[in-house]
Amino acid sequence: MSTTDLSLSFGGVHAVRDVTFEVDEGEVYSIIGPNGAGKTSIFNLISRLYEADSGNIEFQGEIISNLPPHNIARLGIARTFQNTELFEHETVLKNMLIGRHVHRKTILLSELLFLPGVAKQELRFRQVVEDVIDLLDLQSYRDQVIGSLPYGVRKMVEVARALCIQPKLLLLDEPSSGLNPEETEDVAFWIEDINQDFGATIIMVEHDMNLVTRVSNRVMALADGAVLAVGSPEEIQNHPEVLRAYLGD
Amino acid sequence: MRFVFKTKYRQDVDLFKHNGQRFWYGLLAIAVLLAPFILDSFYVGELALVYIYATAGIGLMLLVGYTGLVSLGHAAFLAIGAYVHAYLLSRGWPVPLSLLTAGLFTAAVGAIVGLPAMRMTGIYLAIATLAFAIIVEQVIAHWESVTGGYRGMLVPDAQIFGVDLSDGRPFYYLCLFVMIACLFAGLNILRTPTGRAMIGVRDSEISAQSMGIDLAKTKSIAFAISAGFTGLAGGLFAHKLGYLAPDAFTLLTSIQLLLMVVVGGLGSMHGVFYGAIFIGLLPQGIAIMRDTLPAAIGQMPGLEPGLFGLILVLFLIFEPLGIYGRWRKIRQFFDEFPLYRKSTHKRQKSYLRTERVR
Amino acid sequence: MDVFQLLISGISQGCVYALIALGFVLIYKATEMVNFAQGDMMMLGAYIAFTYINLMGLPFFWGLLATVLTMALIGVLIERAILRPMIGEPPFAVLMITIGLGFILRAVAGAVWGTDTKAISNPFTGGVARIGEASIGFENLAIIAGTAILCTVLYVFFRFTRLGVAMQAASQNQLAAYYVGIPVKRLYSLVWAMSAAIAAAAGVLVAPVSLVEPVMGFIGVKAFAAAIVGGFGSLPGAIVGGLLIGIVEQFAGLYLPTGFADTSAYVILLLMLFVRPEGILATMQQKKV
Repeated sequence: MSTTDLSLSFGGVHAVRDVTFEVDEGEVYSIIGPNGAGKTSIFNLISRLYEADSGNIEFQGEIISNLPPHNIARLGIARTFQNTELFEHETVLKNMLIGRHVHRKTILLSELLFLPGVAKQELRFRQVVEDVIDLLDLQSYRDQVIGSLPYGVRKMVEVARALCIQPKLLLLDEPSSGLNPEETEDVAFWIEDINQDFGATIIMVEHDMNLVTRVSNRVMALADGAVLAVGSPEEIQNHPEVLRAYLGD
Repeated sequence: MRFVFKTKYRQDVDLFKHNGQRFWYGLLAIAVLLAPFILDSFYVGELALVYIYATAGIGLMLLVGYTGLVSLGHAAFLAIGAYVHAYLLSRGWPVPLSLLTAGLFTAAVGAIVGLPAMRMTGIYLAIATLAFAIIVEQVIAHWESVTGGYRGMLVPDAQIFGVDLSDGRPFYYLCLFVMIACLFAGLNILRTPTGRAMIGVRDSEISAQSMGIDLAKTKSIAFAISAGFTGLAGGLFAHKLGYLAPDAFTLLTSIQLLLMVVVGGLGSMHGVFYGAIFIGLLPQGIAIMRDTLPAAIGQMPGLEPGLFGLILVLFLIFEPLGIYGRWRKIRQFFDEFPLYRKSTHKRQKSYLRTERVR
Repeated sequence: MDVFQLLISGISQGCVYALIALGFVLIYKATEMVNFAQGDMMMLGAYIAFTYINLMGLPFFWGLLATVLTMALIGVLIERAILRPMIGEPPFAVLMITIGLGFILRAVAGAVWGTDTKAISNPFTGGVARIGEASIGFENLAIIAGTAILCTVLYVFFRFTRLGVAMQAASQNQLAAYYVGIPVKRLYSLVWAMSAAIAAAAGVLVAPVSLVEPVMGFIGVKAFAAAIVGGFGSLPGAIVGGLLIGIVEQFAGLYLPTGFADTSAYVILLLMLFVRPEGILATMQQKKV
């Protein structure tokens, strides 16, 4: 996936300025930067929840910056949200089943009548969902309503739901925010699992440098909407521009 | 407390969770099928009316309870279904075809209403549906060549498969059949991707889009199905009324339908039935109460809508989960006795504006 | 002649819508709640004025004052009893409860005063002013003047007083407002009192031009449309929306067949919702993720 000269402003605030970067297939790519640097805005631009003022986004050779938001998942791009956006009144299972929506092959009429094909599809969906549940150890939470779950579990359900899309590209927005060190360790483990076993490319917005250093292949540093530097985690950590952005002069 | 032991995924997909449910619903089915032979014809007629309300309620519940789109003008769909059906009957169409066409036509109108719903949220959509309903009412009132305007339109006596529909029993079975069909279709929708998409739209439009759900299409489908079911109910309602006039389908009617789903219990099909029974029996209840109350209250002209309002207010404050919600709480109390905690059902208040905007 | 006369009538009618719409917007701006019973509160105000002026014999302006104060009190009572428990509930529930409130108010009015139409004795009926070739009744002039006065008062209130600013804060985030010491619950009571008072004034001003009866509150639906057309979070928007609908209705009545005039308000509403749902003077925002 790559972006070219991506820009976005809200009124007078330049959230994203001429951001150009590319992510190779199979890598774990982290985006870091102080608050307000435009990291989540970039995600929202890729998900097409925001409309860019200028610039392009390409995925697997095709331009996606003019697609409606609901077509992005169909291409195999999934994302999580900083403040979990789960379907609060439903169970974990239902939330994850909704993740299978892009793989739906049935039409409305057959669903109204619940023809055998529809039932078989439901069972197939369930199988995939169960695989994801096994990957992330969510068995005991299957039938619980989201509203009653602890924060750490909600974040996992958010990721689980995204995984049910069977994405080629997974956008993780601050996966470790609000979690304690032990839970953050778990996050590192399953990011590795998803990247290696599941085979998904991961772009991650993160503040926790330990996590970033541990799992990332490359890191991009942003500040004030513009790209500061791109490189390996060690390079970025010692980069003078990055240090200045975080610590001031 | 029953604990369901699941051995197959199919069990989660099925409509009945366990054999106990099948047993009780089976009994209910037998009772309902035998009712016309046991009950007095007046009550059979009343039950048929309850079924009609329930059919409309299933439609409204799918829209409001499951997709989160508020419709303040659902009486318009009832009216469209009723008038189309009566019109086709007067042209000599057979009842099943006419009814089905009325339902499909209303569904098409619903889909058209649903298209702009993409651009409106919550309260705006509610007002738009209200405006739509008022416009429909005016159209009916002024399109005299087709609808008879304020003078009204007679609903022709009809037969279905040779059986006269003005007879209580056949009509009861027809209403029952239509209701069961709609219920079945509605429940089916809810356990398939389309229904889940509707729930996604209700709970979080943003993440629904990220899951690949086409908001506009889903809202349109929700409106179409909802309108279609309500249109079918309208067609049956036409038979019940016998004579159609614009003032049978007013704002009060729309609010009554909403009352049904809110008081019954928003968010579950059970709520539809509790609500339908409630508003079906309410007029009788009021009539009985009228005699026992002092004259100042009992004879007051606006008593029925006034009571509706009061009941609505009381339920929203004290029992927002509706009758079904209260029933679930009672059952849970007995299940968990003596460990039941009231706070299990405490409502989540959202004080942040951003939490209220979906 | 016709155009100007229609314009005047339109402005006058528009001001009626605007007055009620002001009440809607006020409550919405301060509490994020939609009060569907605003029209019925106007109706109640008219009946109370009838009681003071016709039944108890008070002079008109004293009766007006007494009505406004009484309705303010009633507004507080309604807020305490019905709306206070609904703070923090989803907007749909609040809307439904105000719909229910409307039904209750209508039933009570019908029971207490009867359903036959009443009229309020006032110093305006009969008097006619001439502007060029058009004539405008005093009662219509009173409506326009009353609206103008109210607008000015509200503008000053929200812009320059601490209370007004506090109200806006409370509407954005009730918890945060609490934490900085804003008495949110008392503010809500005050807002409802103000809104009820405006509705009462509207009722008294409208009574000379229309009949006083329990269903007179249905004009509230059109006023609601006016508030949305103008921009639901905006007080000037309520005025703009009201005037727009009032004027268009008059012209529609002249140039279009019967029945269309009545629906023109709703057609405008639907058009606005298609094209620019935020309204003419928009203040709505989108959720940030």
